[in-house]
Amino acid sequence: MDWFVINMLNGVSYGMVLFLIASGMSIVLGAMGVTNLAHGAIYMVGAYAGWTVAIKWKATFGVGLLVGGLSAAVVGLAIERGLLRRLYKQPNEQVLLTFGFVYILSNLCLWIWGGWPRPPFTAKFLTGSIEILGRAYPKARLAIIIIGLLLAVGLWWLQEKTRMGAIVRAGMDDKETASGLGINLERAFAAIFFVSSFIAGAAGVIGAQLLGVRTDLGLEVLLLALIVIIVGGVGSIQGALLGGILIGVIDAFGRAVFPQFAMFTMYLTMIIILIVRPTGLLGRKI
Amino acid sequence: METGATQEEQNRWLGKILVSLGSLFLLCCPLFLSSYGEGLMTRFLIFALFAMSYNVVFGYAGLLSLGHAAFFGAGGYTVALLKLHFGVDLFWISAPLGFVIAAFTAALFGIIALRVSGIYFLLVTFALGQMLFSLAWNVKWLNSKGMQGITGISLPDLAIQGLTLNTTWYYYLVLIFFAISVVVLYRLVNSPYGVALVGIREDESRMAAVGYNTWLYKYLAFVISGAFAGIAGVLFSYYNFFVSPHHLGIATSFLPMVMAIMGGVGTFFGPVIGAVVFIFVENYASILTPQRWPLILGGLFVIIIMFARDGVGVYLWRLLSKVTPGYGSIKG
Amino acid sequence: MEVLKVEDLSKRFGGINAVNDISFRLEVGERVAIIGPNGAGKTTLFNLINGQLSPSKGRIHFFGRDITALPTHRRAHLGQARAFQTISLLLNLTVLDNALLTLHGTRPHRFKMFHPVKDFKDVFEDGVHALNALGLWEKKDEPVSSLAYGEQRRLEIGLGLAMQPKLLLLDEPSAGLTIDESSDIVEIITNLRQDMTVLIVDHDMDMVFEIAERIIVLHYGQVIADGTPEEIEADQHVREIYMGVEASDTTLKAG
Repeated sequence: MDWFVINMLNGVSYGMVLFLIASGMSIVLGAMGVTNLAHGAIYMVGAYAGWTVAIKWKATFGVGLLVGGLSAAVVGLAIERGLLRRLYKQPNEQVLLTFGFVYILSNLCLWIWGGWPRPPFTAKFLTGSIEILGRAYPKARLAIIIIGLLLAVGLWWLQEKTRMGAIVRAGMDDKETASGLGINLERAFAAIFFVSSFIAGAAGVIGAQLLGVRTDLGLEVLLLALIVIIVGGVGSIQGALLGGILIGVIDAFGRAVFPQFAMFTMYLTMIIILIVRPTGLLGRKI
Repeated sequence: METGATQEEQNRWLGKILVSLGSLFLLCCPLFLSSYGEGLMTRFLIFALFAMSYNVVFGYAGLLSLGHAAFFGAGGYTVALLKLHFGVDLFWISAPLGFVIAAFTAALFGIIALRVSGIYFLLVTFALGQMLFSLAWNVKWLNSKGMQGITGISLPDLAIQGLTLNTTWYYYLVLIFFAISVVVLYRLVNSPYGVALVGIREDESRMAAVGYNTWLYKYLAFVISGAFAGIAGVLFSYYNFFVSPHHLGIATSFLPMVMAIMGGVGTFFGPVIGAVVFIFVENYASILTPQRWPLILGGLFVIIIMFARDGVGVYLWRLLSKVTPGYGSIKG
Repeated sequence: MEVLKVEDLSKRFGGINAVNDISFRLEVGERVAIIGPNGAGKTTLFNLINGQLSPSKGRIHFFGRDITALPTHRRAHLGQARAFQTISLLLNLTVLDNALLTLHGTRPHRFKMFHPVKDFKDVFEDGVHALNALGLWEKKDEPVSSLAYGEQRRLEIGLGLAMQPKLLLLDEPSAGLTIDESSDIVEIITNLRQDMTVLIVDHDMDMVFEIAERIIVLHYGQVIADGTPEEIEADQHVREIYMGVEASDTTLKAG
């Protein structure tokens, strides 16, 4: 029984990180129709910035989180305002451009921070463990679950209950009508991209508690985000949450049962979903 | 009308001259290049073929696939595994098998990936490619003892009496396969099938309404593309003497994309030009700033996308012929 | 002989039935027009008949065969040809390219991979013939995007005819055309072979009354009238709908 609970908690905590990573990318894809393959690289920038602040300069983890989010948001916004917004009607070019930035950002991080991977780190008060069902369980993971849930609720509220959320949903369904209604779409898009990148950067710092910080995170995290999006469906917080948790849990149990082939549980899930329900479990039409 | 015909004729002459000059150069270059230069030319031909194979699925069919290295690597790994586990050196076994395995992988992946379209297709091809990368990384049987990847590949045995391959002979072997592939692909893109592919890229819904089974056309393009990438992969393993999981993953998938776009997507020789530029830049970057090569590659790519979308090859052509080329045009 | 039978056809989008329990039949050689206010479901109906959409309910029969689940390209082979509401030619390719591609679509050698297209002389000649008939041979090497809108429309319909279909589906052919261009279209249609069946959706009542021997009126996805032009003209319900909903869009012929 405790084996089950522990793995479940592992799965859900990892799944929360996946959710955070995927949600930003999914919203941008759904609301703006923009494929941002640099999303994982932006996560990485946030993680490095957060590490620098929290570990190197020894500020608190919370400050690191904030700085991580902001740095990522700035980078993301720069890419969007500078280059990406000229490619709105050209999905192929967006893909290619943002992919080019994966290389650029990864190499820049390598240049600035050097190639040695940073081990996972967390807030001072989150080090150590709590007892669950007679076993020691890391506090950090529980904190991730809680933060993840809070963020999920917050983002869902943004999506469903606010004007920005309504714009996002309108933009998803019909861009021309939305702009015809006098909504400044350009500004809305910039804001959405900013928020999406902020989430990515914050996710980078939150995720660093589990994954650490490395220069190959750019591609690795992108791949995770893509799998979650494929499984959960594009364009909604719910989809990203469901996809993230599902993948996280499947991965955790996969690792526990056949560690060598752990990664394949993710791929297998993805392939099954593609065959059975190509738009993803909670997907909206793009 | 008079001027139009003459201009088209002019273009055709220009094309023929360029191709002839290029072919002459390729045939003779071992005579005046050092063995380093020769190696570079071999590398160029392999990657040009890789890029041309990608052009079928991306340039002509319009499907942006991010997992093309899966087929390249499948070809290369077949050769490597046959050598590692079965001691096979014979080109006439390894190469055809590599081709078949690559085509089979493409056939399999195509069925999964073509369940979806647009952005999803891209994501899926990416994931499938990374899945193979992951397999090659983790499964012991797919690696030489104690390392990532497979070493110990040597120049192939052609079983021709009295001929022991050296790198110069290997260059000519690669050139032969490159030439054959060019001819086959050229006929393909100018055939009814190839032309229909372009139509499907332009407006799939219309093509379906006039009678084309658009899924089948796209699927065949995916498989053919993968098969030729497999040939490139086979030739690569004999050149590189080493295959690694990276040759299956996105880092390698990115390369034919870069080359095809730099040279001119959807034009026949664009990828070749792109390969020239790529090999050139890669060579100098690896000498001058090896650490910053990915940055340079990424930066170059971004610049091309933003400011020279049609590709360097197309710009050169325009310069030479002073006419705006159309693509996918059928000559009656 | 019955060309098309539509039976209890419905298509649901979200909470709305764009097409709601539609049934009707077409006999060989009939010239039938479907009219109705915007949003009545006309294009959706076409999409269902031609296969771009699959119905939520109901069946479609083509020459007695149930084609409800058949993909679009197979319906082309069975004899459907369609002109779309927004012109769907391949805009970046030349006129000749478009003609050849359309003609190849229903020929068996469209899968050939090793011979250049120019080897297939019979298709080429058909293309020449079709373009000449449309008066567009001179522009064969121009990209379609450079043609005037009326020429594009003529080309699209002309190429649809070149497919030698049994059922021609025309979705708002007169949209965006001048009066002269519209009468060109009318001429093309009236000169068609007797055994070709034409189903046309349009808002231009002059054209509709000139071409159609039978009119079906749709409103909110349902058939509210089906009869000869005279019957439709006289129908109270139809008059109410047009007068009440969109007087500016359409004008019924004065009684």
